[in-house]
Formats: sequence, structure tokens, C-alpha cells
Amino acid sequence: MRPATFEYHRATSLEHALQLLGEFGEEARPIAGGQSLVPMMNFRLARPGHLVDINRLPLNAIEIVGSMLRIGALTRHGAYFDHPLIARHFPAFLDAVHYIGHPTIRRNGSIGGSISHADPTAELPAVAVLHDADIVVRSAAEERRIKASEFFVSAYVTALEPGEMVVAVEFPIPPAASAGSFVEMSERSGDFATASVGIVLEHEGGRIAKAAMVCSGAGLVPIRAPDVESHLLNRALNDPHAEEAGRIFAASIDPVDDHIASAAYRRSLIAELTRRAIETACSRALGRS
Amino acid sequence: MKAGRPRHIGARVQRFEDIRLLSGSARYIDDVRLPDMLHLMFVRSDTAHARIRSVDTSALSDLEFPTWVFTGKDTAGLSMKAHQDYPEMQYSEQPLLAEDRVRFVGEPVAVVLAEDAYKAEDAAEHIFVDYEPLPVVGTMEQARDAAIPPLFDGWKSNVIVQRQMKGGDLEAAKAAAAHVVKRTYRTQRQAGVPMEGRGVVARYDHSDRVLTVWSSTQMPHLVRTYISEELGLPESRIRVVAPDVGGGFGVKGQVYADEVLIAWVAMKTGRPVKWIEDRREHLIASIHARDHEHTLEAYVSADGRLLGLKADITVDNGAYSTFPFTSAGEPGMVGKVLPGPYDFHAYEATFRAVATNKCAIGTYRGVARPSAVFSQERLMDDIATELGMDPFEFRLKNIIREFPYRNVLGFTYDAGSYAESLERMRKLLAEDVAQAAASHGSRTKRIGVGIACFIEQTAHGTPDFTRRRVPIETGYIAARVEMSPDGEVTIDLGLQNHGQGLETTMAQVAADALGVQPENVYVRHGDTLTTPYSVGTWGSRGGPLGGGAVHIAASRIADKLRAIAAHLLQARPDEIELADGLASVRDNPGRHIKISRLARIALRNVDQLPEGMAPGLEAQFSLDGPRDGTYSNAVHAAVVEIDVPTGKMKLRRFVVIEDCGTILNPLVVDGQVRGGVVQGIGSAMFEHFIYDGECQPLTTSFADYLMPLAPEIPNIEVHHIETPTPLTPLGAKGLGEGGAIGPAAAIANAVSNALGVNVSATPLNGNAIWNLSRHLRDAS
Repeated sequence: MRPATFEYHRATSLEHALQLLGEFGEEARPIAGGQSLVPMMNFRLARPGHLVDINRLPLNAIEIVGSMLRIGALTRHGAYFDHPLIARHFPAFLDAVHYIGHPTIRRNGSIGGSISHADPTAELPAVAVLHDADIVVRSAAEERRIKASEFFVSAYVTALEPGEMVVAVEFPIPPAASAGSFVEMSERSGDFATASVGIVLEHEGGRIAKAAMVCSGAGLVPIRAPDVESHLLNRALNDPHAEEAGRIFAASIDPVDDHIASAAYRRSLIAELTRRAIETACSRALGRS
Repeated sequence: MKAGRPRHIGARVQRFEDIRLLSGSARYIDDVRLPDMLHLMFVRSDTAHARIRSVDTSALSDLEFPTWVFTGKDTAGLSMKAHQDYPEMQYSEQPLLAEDRVRFVGEPVAVVLAEDAYKAEDAAEHIFVDYEPLPVVGTMEQARDAAIPPLFDGWKSNVIVQRQMKGGDLEAAKAAAAHVVKRTYRTQRQAGVPMEGRGVVARYDHSDRVLTVWSSTQMPHLVRTYISEELGLPESRIRVVAPDVGGGFGVKGQVYADEVLIAWVAMKTGRPVKWIEDRREHLIASIHARDHEHTLEAYVSADGRLLGLKADITVDNGAYSTFPFTSAGEPGMVGKVLPGPYDFHAYEATFRAVATNKCAIGTYRGVARPSAVFSQERLMDDIATELGMDPFEFRLKNIIREFPYRNVLGFTYDAGSYAESLERMRKLLAEDVAQAAASHGSRTKRIGVGIACFIEQTAHGTPDFTRRRVPIETGYIAARVEMSPDGEVTIDLGLQNHGQGLETTMAQVAADALGVQPENVYVRHGDTLTTPYSVGTWGSRGGPLGGGAVHIAASRIADKLRAIAAHLLQARPDEIELADGLASVRDNPGRHIKISRLARIALRNVDQLPEGMAPGLEAQFSLDGPRDGTYSNAVHAAVVEIDVPTGKMKLRRFVVIEDCGTILNPLVVDGQVRGGVVQGIGSAMFEHFIYDGECQPLTTSFADYLMPLAPEIPNIEVHHIETPTPLTPLGAKGLGEGGAIGPAAAIANAVSNALGVNVSATPLNGNAIWNLSRHLRDAS
């Protein structure tokens, strides 16, 4: 359980990192916290010939840029817990980060790493899809913005091209009359999700004006639920028909069946988590805790 | 107890070894680094059952660094032999490296060595094994199917061994029964997971023909004996060292093929050789545990008396037999212990081990008893439910109350606190039982309370092993105690300390016998060069037998110190008391002499010794176990809270009442109990080693093999009752394993109570709880 031979490069600037990634192409991988990449290398499931260490790059700001909240790729998971912008605008995001790993993982793991690794049950990819986030990627030649829903192609497969690297994730800031929640079930705290469900909603006059829902555990990438989203439109916050929403979501998916959980169990979990996520978000919208 | 008034035994002494272990200055197997050392990497079978057509090592010559390679042809004739001397047992050997056939995924096929561990791993990718796959034997059912060919040439079937134990008149019990309760219970396959994996370093010195083997083992002397017999070296020229060992739990309580193989490779290459197991290797190829199915049939009278029990026990042993406890050990243990703490007089157990294409089953904390107690205590609850009785009431009606008690198989139990601990637990749980009952109208949130009441045979020794005809053959534990001229004490202990606190508890025992402080006692262990021959640390024997051996050896030195003091103080030896570093005349404490002064006289100023007394202050004693061992007892209780819609289960409370006789150190006892309970919670809820239909392992890293983690563990409450046994010198019984024995049963009973269903299998993970609570969802 030792990695195959690789060459290590410490990038001194973003331009330097992009130049190295461009030079070595498919042979190169950027490394930040290494929470996913290093185990993959130790199992020799990943065999990059060149590692580009980006830890010293100034990519860890959380800031408002126009109508977006921009999170630098090197922001560690631990940074969100007491961040005022996350707390104010992104309750589902804040719920979700409580389910990420353990203190060591949260201190080292980065959003760019989690997004690039694209584990189908990881929290941050689900949150990015939920919020229609833009994944900002750069190569030596250009910068691209990719919608989260297009970025995640399959399990551990993304739209990143050789030579490209995630530099930031930008989340549209929801209007003031909005709420959200994220719930997850895993065997042990800190595990990848058996299933998770997130919601953000906008409301007006006590009714849901717009909703987005996502789940993980139902496929190879986080899945949105257009049927549920339209089902929720105009529902009263104090009677959102959440149980029915859960049934609709569960009926529309084809969950994974593995040795941790059967497909039937995951389907049932997603129905129940959908109900809970909706009820929590609605109750938050109504100003209850 | 001969020690007089104990000052240190029973005291809450902080563990001395923790200074080393917690400050990062312990030295583990991976810290052994020798000049010119080669690093060894295994090539392991990726196929569960196959003939080996060829092993192609020619690509190694493409590498730009030197390598050494050995295959099964090189080690032909060398093997692990672990045969229990039962005529009906089918004999198998595990070759050190597979030569023509592999029988589980992970079986070593070749080894390659290089000058660093990374290169060795690179080199292993250049060895190509051509397998001709054979059909696998993947389940107990397939193993018992006579139409499926045996895994070994010359075998008649894949049933390795099948035997019976019986006592009393079962037919009469059945005829007299008003109720017959028959159930089948299943406990899953687990890996045993110490924090530190295994590892071996070996060096052969050709000039004086001395082989030194460092191994992360619980039994250095047995490793020495096995290597000597297999490689034909005199034991006098083999030294086995177990350095600091980061947990063993029985996993390191077997001699492994790799320990013999790496010694052999060191001799062949003439270079020191090192192998450090990685976690994947550990999970797939060090021993596995549990994997039992028990069908029990209980005969019960109309008023709730257990009249008889019939048991049919199958263990999925995997492919090979492990040394020294063999594949007959696990099922035999179930047959032996199922009668448990209950008073009944007719019993018959049929038990068997079957061979499959999986990793071998070996000893892991509790050894068969977590599975046996799971079945026994689930059955007690199932009978109580069938009779409409309270689970405490039913157990108290059948619990053994008079001691010594001769059980249905003829084993004699020494005194315990079976009924008292049940009564006490009932009081501790009264509020939880009420809360649980109140929750049983809910379809979404349920609370359940479950208990497990059990005994554990501990401190067993040679008589037990002779009866079982097991190749360990003997079970005594030896200690050599020596006082040096400055009055400081050294214990060379035949035990190996890997978390038991022996460097502290043994010092406490010696300190009481010798009248010194525990801080004055240095405990050495784990090195065959310095310690007397013993079979190692396992089986809940260290406290009662190791402690007893230390006590007797130290007492012999104390007798000599008293004789010298009596001579110098002009008193009788029986008037001399040893305490606080002084030898004093009883009732006249002004007349005293320092023990360190006596030591100097005994070893240096020997002209001052009494006429005719030989110099020296050392004694060695080997203490064996009593005929039937001594029986610890405990009641475990779990209070669970179940979120019915998701299957999420939370442990609200876990309570242990335990009785291990005389407590040597309450901190150590609490730590042992809590650590064991955590592992038992792993068995109950999380850990499951899974093979697919082709016997490919699916749970080969900690991402898939789920260990219990701190957030899932409640505060574990531990209560003590002390019933000293007359069968060991200090009154101590064993307790190392007990913590791990009860949790699966207690938690399963709590789930059964919460959901109102029969729980017949572990692990009780989210999916399992969800399956068990279907009736509550469907009705809502």
C-alpha cells in the first residue's frame, strides 16, 4: 500500500501550477489536502507521474463577487463552520459540512479537492449541484466556468480537461426570502452518505416560490429532482406536502445497491430524508428554528 | 491470600507503560531497522480457488534495481500444520507459499525483496501468476453439499470436523417440556483489527548460527518453537522478540506462515528481512473471526424452567487450520460454553467446522463466545417472550445460585455473583425499561432495553488443552522475579504485554509480596532471550495466572528476605513484616532494617548471611490453570433508540456489571471492559467482512470494513462485584475478553425489545434495522 513512483513539484504561484499541469497533462494531478488522492495513490488506483502541490497558492478566500459567493479552491472544510456569509446565505451548505468526515479531514480537505474527486456520495458536490454553482476552472490558456450539473459526469469523472484545475466554486446568493436544509444518513458519523438530500427554496407570502432539491446515493452523480421541485411550487410553507414529495423523488430514481445498503433501503431513505429536508427548510422559512 | 494486607493490589495505579505508549516513544515492529535490510512484499492470490499453472518472474530482470524472489517451489515441503488430535478431523496443511493450488484471495504465492519497501511493491507488479480457476466453495451450505468436491486432495467432504458433546437425558427433557422453542441465529464474519497490523523482521547470523526474529506477536515462545521444528534449528539458537505491540486481541495469538517464511528467507538471502503488513493484507489474510450459525432447540416446563437444550453449530472456517488452536477450536468452544450460567440437566451439541474458499478463522477477543452468548441470550429472550415472562424473571428463575456447581457437561463452576448481578442490573435499568415500554406505541421512534448474562471460563491451562487435544499442549505461565543489590526488582514475565497493563499490575503484585513500591519493580516481557518459556498472552489468563506466578515467585524471595532480617534483628522469620521498603518486627516497628540493605547482604555482603544460606535473591514459578479454569461472570445491558423510518440506531446507554474476582487494578479492569465493549459494539452494529459469490472480498479497506468510531459509542458504565476464587493464588479471575462477549447479545435483545420482533442475525446496521422494522412502516 505504497504509491508508485511520482515526481513532486511545489507550485509557487497559480501561473506556475497551471504551467506544470499543462506541461505534464494527463500525467499530472494537483494535490491540496490529499484526503482522497493519497489513499487512491496508496492503493495504486491513481498513479500520477507528477504531483503539483498547490497548498501554498492564495486560493482560500470566501468572498462576495457580484451576485455570487466565491469560495477559493483551497478553502478547507473547517472554514465554513463559523463563517458569517455561509451562515447567513447558505443554511443547506452549513448543514452539509457538518456531515463531512472528521476533524483531520476537515482541516486538510479542500473544496477544490472534493469537487475534483467527485465522489458520488460526497457532500460538497451535492451542495454545488443543489445551488447551481459554477465550477471555475483554469488552464494555462484560459478560464472556464462550468455548471455543477455539467461538471459531474460520472462517479469520480468530471468535465476537467488535462492541464485544468478547479480554482474556485461560485454559488449564486439566494434572495433574502429563502431557506434551505440538508440531511444525510450514514452508517457512522463522518462516513460518506448512504443517502443525502438537500433543498433550497424561495418563498413569498407564505408559499414556496421556487425550489431546488438534490440527492446523493441514487446514482453516479448528485441528482436534481425536477418533478419534486415543480410539485413544491406554490405549496404553503406550513403544509408543503413533504411526504408526497418524498414519494415522488423516490419513484424517480434508481438507487445504488451495494453491501452497505440495498437499493430498496436507499430509495426509502431518500423518501424520508426528502420529507425531513423539506419540513426543516419550510420551518426555517417560517422563522422557526 | 498469603500476601497479607494488600497495599498495592486493588489500588488505582496509573499505568507505567503509558508514559512510553502515549508519548510516542514506544518501539513497534516497524521501528526495527537493521543495516543491509531487505524489504519483502507478498504476491497474493487474487483468485479464491485455482490451480497455479505458472509463476512468471522473468520481468523482474527489466527492473533497474536488484530483487530477490521466492515461490512455492522454493519452499516446497514447508508448511503450517495445525492438527487437533481427533480421529475424525480431516488434516490439512497450509504451505508457506502456495505451490500448485490457491484456496483463498490473499493466500501468498510468492515473495519478492528489494532494498526499500517501495521498490519491493513495484517489483511485485512484475510477477505474473497464471491461474486456472476452480469452482469455489463459498457458503456453509455449499461446504456441506456432498456433491461439491473437497478443497483438499484425500478429503471425503468439506466438513473438516464434526463432533458431539452431551450430558443428561435429552429425550426425557423433551418429553417433559410444555414448550419447545427452536431458533436459528447467525453471527457474521469479522476481521480482527488491532490498531497496529502485523509485521516480521528476521536476521540470521551465519557465524554463530543464531536466528533473531522480531514479530508483532502475542506468543514469542510458540513462534520460536514452531520455527525450530519447521526449519530444523535448535531453539537455543533462535531468539524471538515481540517489541511493543499495538494491540493483539487474539489476532496475533497464532503462529503465522509468514513468521516461519521470513525467518527462512533471512537464512536464504543472508540479509536481514523486513515485512510490515499493510491494512489490506491484514483485512484479507490475517485471521478472520466469528461466522457462526447455531440452531438451538430449548425444552421448557410450563412454569418456565429450562429442562434441556439441543444445539447444532456450524462455523465457516475458511480454507486452512490455524496454529495452535486449529479449526476445531471455534465450534468446540461453542459446544462447551452454551450451557452458560443456567441450571439445566440435559444437553446435546453437534458442532462442525466447514471449509470454504475464505481466509481462515482464528482467535479474536472472546473466541466463539460472542457468537455463543448471542445465541444463548437471544434464545433466553425468545423463550421469555413465548412464555409471556419478563426477561429478568425468566433468567432469575433458571440462573445458577449454588456453588461450586457442576454443569451438564461436568465442568465445575467456582463461585460467582450471577443472580446478584442480574438483580442489580434490573434496578439500574428500571427507568429505561419504563421509557421503552412507553415508546412501544410509536411507529417512528422506539426505545428498547436488552441484557446479556454470561459466564466466561478464564485462566484455563494444561488440563483444558489436554482434554481438547489441541496442539498448544500446555498453558502454564512463568515468571522469574529477581531483586538486585540496590533492592530494585525485575520481573521477567512469560507473558507479552500489548495493552493489558501488565507492566503495572504485575509490579503491584510483586510490590505487595516484597514490601516495596510498584515503582521499584521493572517488568520485562516479550523476548525469549530474557523471559522464561510460556505460551503467551491470550485467553484472559494474564491476571489470574501471570499474577499468581509473580506472587508465588516474589513470595519465595520475600521468605528469604524475612529469614535474613530475622537473623539480623534477632527475631523469628514469621514475626517479620515487609512493607514500605522496610523489614520490621511485628508489634515492634522500631526494630527494622531496610529491604535494600537486606538485598545488598544477600548479593554482595554475603558474609553477613545466616550460616549456610546461599547468596542470591531470585525465584521462578510456572503457574498452570485449574482443572476447569475459573469462571468470571457479567451482565451487559444496552438501551437503544431507533429512528424507524431510517433504521438509524443510537446507543443511549451501555451498562456492565462484571465480576472478575479480586481486582488487581480497577483502572485496568475498567479499561479492559470498555475496550472490549467497543469491539462488541463493532460486532453488533458495524463490522462485517463480506465475500461475494466468487469468494472475492468486498470489504478490503476501512472505507468498506466499518469499525466502531468514537461518536457512535456511548459512555460505558462499569460496575464491579468481587467474588474472589479459591482456585488462583490472588483470587483473581480473567477479564480480558469479557467486554467483547456481551454487546452483540445485549444490543440484539434491545432491538428485539424495541421493535417487537425476533432478531436472529448481526450486524444490526441501518439496513438491517430498516428490514426488521418493516411491519411498523407498512402499517402506518
